[in-house]
Amino acid sequence: MRSSANSKRYLYIGSALLAIVAVFFIIGLIWTPYGINSTDSASKFIAPCAEHLFGTDNLGRDVFSRCLAAARYTLLVSFAGVAVALVIGTITGLLAGYYGGIIDKVIMVLSNSIMCFPGILLALVAVAIFGPSLYNVIWALGLVFAPTFARVYRSSTIELLGRDYILSAKVMKVNPVRIMFVHILPNLMPQILPAVIIGLANMTLFESGMSYLGLGVQPPAASYGKMLADAQSYMVTAPWLIFFPTLMLVCYILGLYFVSEWVRTSVNGGSK
Amino acid sequence: MRYKGNILEVNDLCLSLSNADGAPVKILNNLKFNVRSGEILGLIGDSGSGKTMTALAVSGLLSDFAHVDSGEIIFEGEDLVKKTPKERRLLLGEKIGVIFQDPSSALDPLQTVESNLSEIISIRDGDKSKGHERILNMLKTVGFDDPKQIAKRYPHRLSGGQRQRVLIAGAALMNPSLLIADEPTSSLDTVTSMSIMQLLHEMCQEMGISILFISHNLNTVRNFCDRVMVMKEGTIIDADTSWDIMGQPKSAFTAELLMKSKLDPHALGITRGEARENAASVLTAKSICAGYKYAGFTNDKMNHVVNNVDFDILEGECVGLIGSSGCGKTTLVKSILGLIKPSSGIIEMNGRIAAVFQDPVSSLNPAHTVRWHLAEALRASGRKMTREEQKPYFLKILEDVGLEGKHLNRFPHQMSGGQRQKAAIAMCLVQEPAVIIADEPFSALDASSQASVIKLLSDINANRGTTMLIVSHNLLVIKAMCSKVLVMDKGRIVESGNTDEVLENPKAEATHALLKAGKYAV
Repeated sequence: MRSSANSKRYLYIGSALLAIVAVFFIIGLIWTPYGINSTDSASKFIAPCAEHLFGTDNLGRDVFSRCLAAARYTLLVSFAGVAVALVIGTITGLLAGYYGGIIDKVIMVLSNSIMCFPGILLALVAVAIFGPSLYNVIWALGLVFAPTFARVYRSSTIELLGRDYILSAKVMKVNPVRIMFVHILPNLMPQILPAVIIGLANMTLFESGMSYLGLGVQPPAASYGKMLADAQSYMVTAPWLIFFPTLMLVCYILGLYFVSEWVRTSVNGGSK
Repeated sequence: MRYKGNILEVNDLCLSLSNADGAPVKILNNLKFNVRSGEILGLIGDSGSGKTMTALAVSGLLSDFAHVDSGEIIFEGEDLVKKTPKERRLLLGEKIGVIFQDPSSALDPLQTVESNLSEIISIRDGDKSKGHERILNMLKTVGFDDPKQIAKRYPHRLSGGQRQRVLIAGAALMNPSLLIADEPTSSLDTVTSMSIMQLLHEMCQEMGISILFISHNLNTVRNFCDRVMVMKEGTIIDADTSWDIMGQPKSAFTAELLMKSKLDPHALGITRGEARENAASVLTAKSICAGYKYAGFTNDKMNHVVNNVDFDILEGECVGLIGSSGCGKTTLVKSILGLIKPSSGIIEMNGRIAAVFQDPVSSLNPAHTVRWHLAEALRASGRKMTREEQKPYFLKILEDVGLEGKHLNRFPHQMSGGQRQKAAIAMCLVQEPAVIIADEPFSALDASSQASVIKLLSDINANRGTTMLIVSHNLLVIKAMCSKVLVMDKGRIVESGNTDEVLENPKAEATHALLKAGKYAV
């Protein structure tokens, strides 16, 4: 009883936080009060006021407009990156778990090698080689995150292989690809859903980190990481430059964590 | 000193569970019974009748979703319902011991048997230093010949029966006044379950422990319990000494349960599947060897579980395969089904083969409806039908297996164990196989479902002429259904032939052992 009430609370708080980001995302798609890169040397470092809700930065750009626009890229990178990781992770994880043997060993050695590098370093190397662009960031992050999904899929597949319904499908001589994707995959949702949500949160952190280092989303596009990088010299004199992008990131990531907590407790029947 | 009189009295206990919407569903309805000091009380009933809920309510292990609405549970003169959760936890183990159905999940896999048991001693005495001798003695008491070896082993190196013995040893170390055994033998084979029952009986007599023994099998409780209660829909409908309840059941339900558990072929209308005249063979195995590889230090080693097995099954025949657990039955079945590759030998098949497995919980894919399962079987058989043609065909198949049209769009979790097993059989029928191999298809079902699934398979054999290979450790099932029987022991077929001849005039030692165990605890 108590646990279900608690998990509902997670859902409400998480959804409220995500709703804020969603509103920013939708408004950012259709309208921003000022151009996101339009500079105005007359209005540098204006503190939050009625005209500039989140203030302005060192070039006189409106922080509110930039926060609206950055939501678009943050969501795009996190969702597209998770989609790439999910597709690669699903295929490799199912193959490794289903066939075992040499296929499993090769896939696991590869994914372990990726996982033993610090993820951000690997993504940075990939972007440094292929050039910093939005799509390269998505690919690089997708590759870095794929082993996490592959592992979840692999272990859950191995667990399901002994179930009678999978044995029965094998006896019926169902095609292995069909067994993997139609018989096994739908049963992995309880494990994969929380992993996807946590993946979205981690992906956002990685993207912000890369943008902060200048290798993520490239100007003229706005990104929270880039905004934080630009603002660090003015942290004391213009704290709002740090505060609002950080607030947006916290809303998004915390919201995802809360929702994932709810998913975990409700999908897995409350098991910890 | 043991408590004198009724050690446990349950008076007018009502218990409900909250369903997904939070609405209460009544599970136990004015339940009333008592356990006398030093007796074994059997509690039987179909699955879903509230047996396990009774055990959980008495032991204080109810989940958050269950609550006692009214009534009292008086244990050694004190009402447990009024006690706080902390007080009840203190009673658990010390005064009330519990053994569950699944021995594989009840021991810590990372600790040896001795550490598992010394944990119990340290909880009771706060000191595990003097435990070693006591553990070895207790392991000897529960029937291990070499307790020192067993104490050093990890749970995965024990068989199901050995694990259950270790759990019983654990419960006995606490020396409780009341031991609740919730279907402790239903996952074990006949020989092992008989020895577990004997062990519990001895413990009851020597240590004076009262036992509440829960089972869905009337035959199991018959020989070992002093009194038996029959439960239906959360109420006790019949209670008497086990002799009387078997001889003169008071309620119609008990009589029916008794009839079903005896598996009388005439009463159930079962005929033995005989081969037709001049029947061709549909399944032939020639010197099959099969087993499992395990990784050695330098190269993989092969552990042969099945050695040189030969048999021949004729069209329309119903053949039984029996043997104690671990003798290689399942490995043989898996190699016939193509699930593992035999290391040598030839399997010749004339037609499609379909399988029904043991566990009704995992026999159907939880992510899909019954309709999807039937469509998948149809697809696998290579026949093509439009969606419009499929529906009447599936409804007909469901009717044949004793399910209704409404089950077509149900998910597995919306059906009972027996219904799921019938849906799995429906999948077999859709494939129109020449042979159906059923690996212990009844052992996880309660007496009523068991009887109806046996009748169903027998009817399929009689009406459709489908050949059957039934793997079971229940000799009554084999006697009722099969015209031929294969007895397996240590990976070999040690005896085969006409069922009556083999079972009435056994030659192999393994057959003798199975028959002896079957007499007590089928």
